[in-house]
Formats: sequence, structure tokens, C-alpha cells
Amino acid sequence: MTGQPAGRREMHLGLMFWATGTHAAGWRYPGSRADGAYDIGFIQDVTRLVEEAKFDFLFLGDRLFTDPALAKTNPAQMSRLEPFTAASAIAAATSKIGIVATANPTYYDPYNLARLLASLDHLSHGRASWNLVTGADAMAASNFSRAEHWETEKRYDWADEFVDVVRALWDSWEDDAFVRDPRTGVFVDGSKVHPINHHGRYFDVTGPLNLARPPQGQVVLLHAGTSDRSRELGAREADVIFAAGGTIETAREYYADVKQRAAAYGRGPDEIHILPSLSVIVAETRREAVAIRDRLDDLLPVAEDRLDVRAGSLGQATRRRDDWGVTGDPVEVVDHMQEWFEGGAADGFNLFPPFVPGSVEAFTELVVPELRRRGLFRTEYAGSTFREHLGLVRPQNRFGRPASEPHAGPPELASAHSR
Amino acid sequence: MQADRTLHLGYMYWANGTHPAGWRHPGAAADRAFDVDYVVEIARRVEDAKFDFFFLGDRLATGTEYQYTNTSVLARPEPFTLASYLATKTSRVGLVVTANTTYSEPFNVARLTASLDHITAGRASWNVVTGSDPRAAGNFTRDRHGDADERYDRADEFVSLVRRLWDTWEDGAFIRNKETGEFVDGALIHSLDHEGPSFRVRGPLNLSRPPQGHPVVLHAGTSERSRQLAAREADVVFGSAATVDEALGYVSDVRARAAAVGRDPARLLVLPGLTPLVGADLEEARALHDQLNDLIVLDEDIRFGGAGPEGWPLAEPPGRREDQGPGRRNLGALSQRLGFDVTGAALTDVVDPAGEQHASADGRRLIETAAGRSGRTVGKDLTWRDVLYAHVWGGHVVVGGPVEIADYMERWLRAGACDGFNVQSAFLVGQLDAFTGLVVPELRNRGLFRAEYSGTTLREHLGLPRPANTLTAAGRVGRPIQPEGARA
Repeated sequence: MTGQPAGRREMHLGLMFWATGTHAAGWRYPGSRADGAYDIGFIQDVTRLVEEAKFDFLFLGDRLFTDPALAKTNPAQMSRLEPFTAASAIAAATSKIGIVATANPTYYDPYNLARLLASLDHLSHGRASWNLVTGADAMAASNFSRAEHWETEKRYDWADEFVDVVRALWDSWEDDAFVRDPRTGVFVDGSKVHPINHHGRYFDVTGPLNLARPPQGQVVLLHAGTSDRSRELGAREADVIFAAGGTIETAREYYADVKQRAAAYGRGPDEIHILPSLSVIVAETRREAVAIRDRLDDLLPVAEDRLDVRAGSLGQATRRRDDWGVTGDPVEVVDHMQEWFEGGAADGFNLFPPFVPGSVEAFTELVVPELRRRGLFRTEYAGSTFREHLGLVRPQNRFGRPASEPHAGPPELASAHSR
Repeated sequence: MQADRTLHLGYMYWANGTHPAGWRHPGAAADRAFDVDYVVEIARRVEDAKFDFFFLGDRLATGTEYQYTNTSVLARPEPFTLASYLATKTSRVGLVVTANTTYSEPFNVARLTASLDHITAGRASWNVVTGSDPRAAGNFTRDRHGDADERYDRADEFVSLVRRLWDTWEDGAFIRNKETGEFVDGALIHSLDHEGPSFRVRGPLNLSRPPQGHPVVLHAGTSERSRQLAAREADVVFGSAATVDEALGYVSDVRARAAAVGRDPARLLVLPGLTPLVGADLEEARALHDQLNDLIVLDEDIRFGGAGPEGWPLAEPPGRREDQGPGRRNLGALSQRLGFDVTGAALTDVVDPAGEQHASADGRRLIETAAGRSGRTVGKDLTWRDVLYAHVWGGHVVVGGPVEIADYMERWLRAGACDGFNVQSAFLVGQLDAFTGLVVPELRNRGLFRAEYSGTTLREHLGLPRPANTLTAAGRVGRPIQPEGARA
């Protein structure tokens, strides 16, 4: 833990990128982009906006099934770019901000996913992160030749072992495995490249990975969930936990529970960051902010209580917006955030922008300066990797030898022939 | 044979080139495979030269023995993430990504390729492979890699399924009318309800139809099953012919197969791989050839803690290219390849014409290849070491100055043996610059290669039309999801 100076704790902020906003009618709001989901330049622009505001990360969600009915409740989730391709294109247009890609282990192989994440970490120079979801979409099974979506216990058993395999693969090349000495002809030191030889309940993976170790050593891992299994997985493996909003009382209870579970795995409270979702509608005055919210709600295609919720939890989340959102002037918004941050309910927030880019611009222009005025948020990035933004050290390689134990050394080759 | 045909040129990116010791050359960048700025620089040079595409290969297993055969495949960025990064740093060149059908899911590959096509605004291409390194099975919880029939049965269904997933959203499916609140037209979005031997996929995809309709499909097209897959699905096929005569036979075979499945055979482009080893003139190129080969590690050079190569465990035999790896780089291995025993000779002995006659057909061709590349002659100055080097550095190589190399490419094109080449470099970046700086201008002087892009998508570069939607063209095989929402 490198951490902030003693006595000064700062919030961590992420932006959940939904191209048409997290409000079901956000895309209809004046100035919003209705067709931004496929415009990578737009996505890059929004990312740079929050990078200039020094956010910790941009978050790309994912689902593995769609239904056009989502157009009414959540068009941003109905169809969008695949997260790893989008994340890499974002990496090419930014330099500091963390980039979170969502992937569901239930429908992936650990070798493929370990590669995608390690590669994104190399391309972004240490800014990659994996949001591990186990699948809210029962219908995904029908797109992956599966008879059924597994029940929770099996999905988490699978995910637990999956994470172990991915983490071992990331370590399969020691940091100094590449020799690349043109004089001797030795390219790698084979003693620093490790098969993982994993043989478990669900996976048999020999390794090694065919990528160099990620710049962060271990890519930052995110997880969300309220079930017992989900809290355990998060407490053991996640660097960042997303939590639902709800009331400050329920948030405090969740926060304390997860940190306590993490402590049982030997992890300190600063090694796991709990970031509840927060939807903000802010304007110079409270009256203006309320007017924006009313205008948004008026644009909903049907009365809110008649929304089609076949889409599942996210459709419902839209309906419950007011439970976890805040509408007001900058002081009111920051008061709310500060209360949670200092009240044992949050280490920061995952911002849900109701409409894009307008609500993001309003947040960076009005809320971020007020946060800084109170010393609650950074004015500059202290590091350049996502781990550094989170104050996390780069982990040791599990295959690495202690410095006192010498390597056998690379093989020697004779010098080149002379003709 | 039309006189006005021009070449299509792809560039196959190997971070350290195709020569097994290319990375050791003083002009090579040996340590930049994970430096994305380096890859961007290479891709931009390829785009500046107006190549049709920049090609990223892939494998799903590795082993440290690759360091002596092909350092480029030892470890490298994953292709979809790398291509998406390059998309932002380039604007015209096509981006080819390799994805394996044996170890992935059609829904995931359809999303990745469609997403890349959106991010590149229509420059994406999928190189379909079924797996050349059987060790992949050990990384994917499989008992075995599967034989060619098993892998191609799956690949056939996989590719046609991905095409239909790309089509599940018709081009006009998005309305996005802020006034009325209509976001999509459900009548133009289709499920597949596909149930086949290997896959059951309901659909629709959760992405808008790709800008190219279908990203360009590439395939190697070498074995029987591979040719059949290429004939049915590929827009571009590589083949593996080494001579004009072989290539003519190959081209007529795959085109006949394409015609037999109802395709226009002219829309199946054949681009063989080719490593031009370029010098300012022939003499300089041959000197470079010798210089590079001197850097190849032969078995007699290897010392592993005092033990010879037998002390260094080789895993399961990997692919063909690795048949020339450590333990197979000596006169014993060469004898096997030639079909007669040369172990009594010294590497520096001249190949005598009597000995050559004992060689098998493949062996005689190898000797001929060594003579052609080195410019030396049997019975005079061609040595067994030259032949061993030709054995170790396999593949389609032509050594020369710009005139010789342009002559070679022009001869293949005019004979109808290809539509262009998938160009590779022996090492980077010097050999890429030599090709773009010396050979490309020569090709342009002869009217054989474009001076400027005429289109913006890869399909346009290749002269291929945007395909109709297979679901609607075939009488709506797919099921509209919301028929009640249909428009007139």
C-alpha cells in the first residue's frame, strides 16, 4: 500500500459508460448522442473528458444476450461494441485512465480471457481491469450451446477456479524471462517460463501463456454482487467492489461486511475499494437540476410504473433511479457523496450518467471542483497505472525465486559461424 | 490473361520477421513485440505504402523452443486487442485478425469481429484457423486436439453461423428517432434458432450489422478440407505453392471448388505468402542472405549447461515450421529430408552433382532452392551448409534487388498463379523499408500496384462487393423478433 499522505483519504471515481445514458430516455435528451454506441471517436471523447477530470477508470459493461425490448428500458445495453475491442481503441486515445472490460467466465475459456486482459494491459501500459460477472442473463446459455444457465453455486465454483487459472497464467512468464541477446542468440531464459500445470475440477490448463507478464503483474479485478458467494469472491479476489446504491444504512452494512470478509483473507481495508453506483443530475441550482430530471422522465416512452421489465435487473434499476441517485446543486451533490465517503459507506463512486455527454460534462464542471475544494479528490494522477491510482502495489510473481536463490542461468550458445 | 491486372498486397506482421535468426541482425529490433508504439510504426509504414491489409497471426500455445525457430510466435499481444488499438492509429489499411474455431465460441467471435469492423469503419477481416499447434488442447481442458475432420466439421458450421449472426440486425434496424422515441425496428432484428451438430445458438447478436456487411474472411486453404472451407467461405486464400506451376494448379482447383458451390470464382483472391529478401541489388541481397544465415543456431552450436540438444526437452512435435527446430538442424536431419545419407560429409563440403541425383524429388527441390537463394552452384560452390540453411529457413523466399523481386512477382501475376502476395519480412524494420522503398516503386513503375487507395473499406481495396443480408436474401430464414412492429 503506497497510499495517500496520512490523514488524507481521497475518493476513487469511475464512469460507467452507457452510450445512451443510464436513464432509459437519456438518448432523447437534447444534446445527447442517440447513435454514439458505434462511434469510437465519441467513446474516446467521453473517456478523455473524465481522464482530464482525473477519474480512476472508465467502465465498459457487457451482456451476452439481447432482446429488442431493451430499447425501451436500456438501449445502451441492447446493443454495443464488444468491450475488449472498444477498450483497446480507448487505450490508443488516452494515457492515464484505467479501463475496465467486463467478461463473464461462465462463457469464456481462461486461456482466451487471460490473453485478452494481459494484452490490453500491455497496450494500455498497465491500465487494464477485468470486471468479473457471472451472468445476470439466464438467456446467454442459449447463445452458447448450453442447455441451461447454471445455478449460482456452480457459476461461482467455476468462477473461483477460473480466477485461479487466469492469475497463474499471468505469472507464467517471470518479468525478466526475455533475454533477447543478439550476441549469444539466447532469446528467452527457459528457467523463467513456467507451465502452470493446473488440474482442477473444471479446468486442465498446462500453460504457459503466450504473452509476457502484464505490466501491472496482476490486472486489477472488479466484482459486484450481494449474494454470499459473490461477497466471498469479491473479498478474496477483487481490488474494487461495485455496490448497489440503496440507503446509507444498507451501504454501511455491506461495506463493513465485505471489508471484514477481506480481512479474513489477510487483506487490509485499503486493499479493497468499495464503490457504490451513483447517478447524479447536477446544475448550478437545485431548481435547474430538478427541471432536468423532470424533463428526462417526461421523455420516457411509457409511464415509469408500466415499464417493460422483462430485461431484468437493469430495467428495474432504471425504475429505482431515485433510490441511488442524487439531484441537486454542486454543494448538495458533494454533501451526499461526502456523507457516504466519510460515513463508512463508500471509498468512492461508480458514476452512472443519466444522459451522455451532458451529465458527464456537468459532473466534471460542477461537482469535481467542489470535491477538490473540500480535499476529497485528486487534482492530478500520482501514478500512471490503474493499480497506482488505487494505491495498490504490483504483486510478486508466484513463480519467482527469492533473490538469494540464484537461477541456473540461460543456456550458452557458440558465436556465429564465419564463412 | 488480362494485361491490366494489378497486385493485391497484404503484409503479414511478425515482430521479429520470418528468418529464424532475423532478430539477431544488427538492423533488427529484437525486443519490441510488446511495445505497441513499435507495432503502430510498422502498421503506418504498411499503410503509407498502400498495402491492402496488415495481418496479425495467432496461436493458442507456446513453448520456449520457439526461440530458435520463430521468436515472433513465442509471445505476442492478442490480435483483437492489438488490431483495435491499431484501428485508432491508422485510417485506410485493412486489419486482419486470426481467430481459431476449435477453441472459441461463435457468439464471441461474431461479436469481436463485428465490433472491430465498427471500430475500423469497415477495415476488419477474420483469418479462420483451426489450430496448428496441438498443444492448445492442453490449454483448453481438452483431451485431444482433434483430427482434421473433427476440426473442420466444427469450423464449417462455425463460420456459416458467424456470418448469419452478423446478419441478425438488418442495416436499417436502428431508427433512433428522438421525437417519437422509437429506437429500433424490431421487424428488422432476427433470431437464428440455430441447431447444428456442434452449436446451438439462438441470437440475435448484440451488435449492429458490421459496416462491411460481412468482414472479409481469410483462410489458408491448403489441405483438402481447408480448400473446401476456403472455396465456400473465404474471400482471400493463401495456399502454399512454391512454384508458378504448382500455384496454377492450386488456383484452378480452389476456383473450381468455389464455382461448384455457386460462387463467382473471380471473387476468391489467391495471395500466397512471400518473403522477399531485398537488397539494393542482387549482389547485396545475396550478401545479406549469407549474413542472416550465419546467425542461425545449428545443433552443433547449442550448449545447454554442457549438455547437447538431447538435454533440452522438446514437447510434442509442434507444427511444420518447427520441424526444422533444434535437434533437427544437423546433417542427420538433412539426410532424412534429402532421402540419402550425407552425414559423412562436412558442412563446408561442396554438393556434388552425383550426390544430388540420389536425392528424393523434395530433396532435389531443396538443393535447387538453396542454389537459387544463395546464387551458388552445385558442383562448384554450393555447400551442404547452404542446403541445411534452406531446410531451416523454410517458406517462400525470393532473394534479389528490386528488379529481380518485381520480375518474380510480375511473373506470378501474369501467369495467373496469384492475385497478389501476403508479403513478409525476414527481419524488421529494415526489410520492410527495403520492400516499400525499393520494390514498391518498381512495381508502380510497371503499373502493377496502386499509388493511392481508391476506397476506404478492406472490401473496397480488394474489389469485393458488400454482401446482401443472408437472412433476408434467403427468404427470412431468421425469425423476426417482433413481427407486430413491422414496417411497410
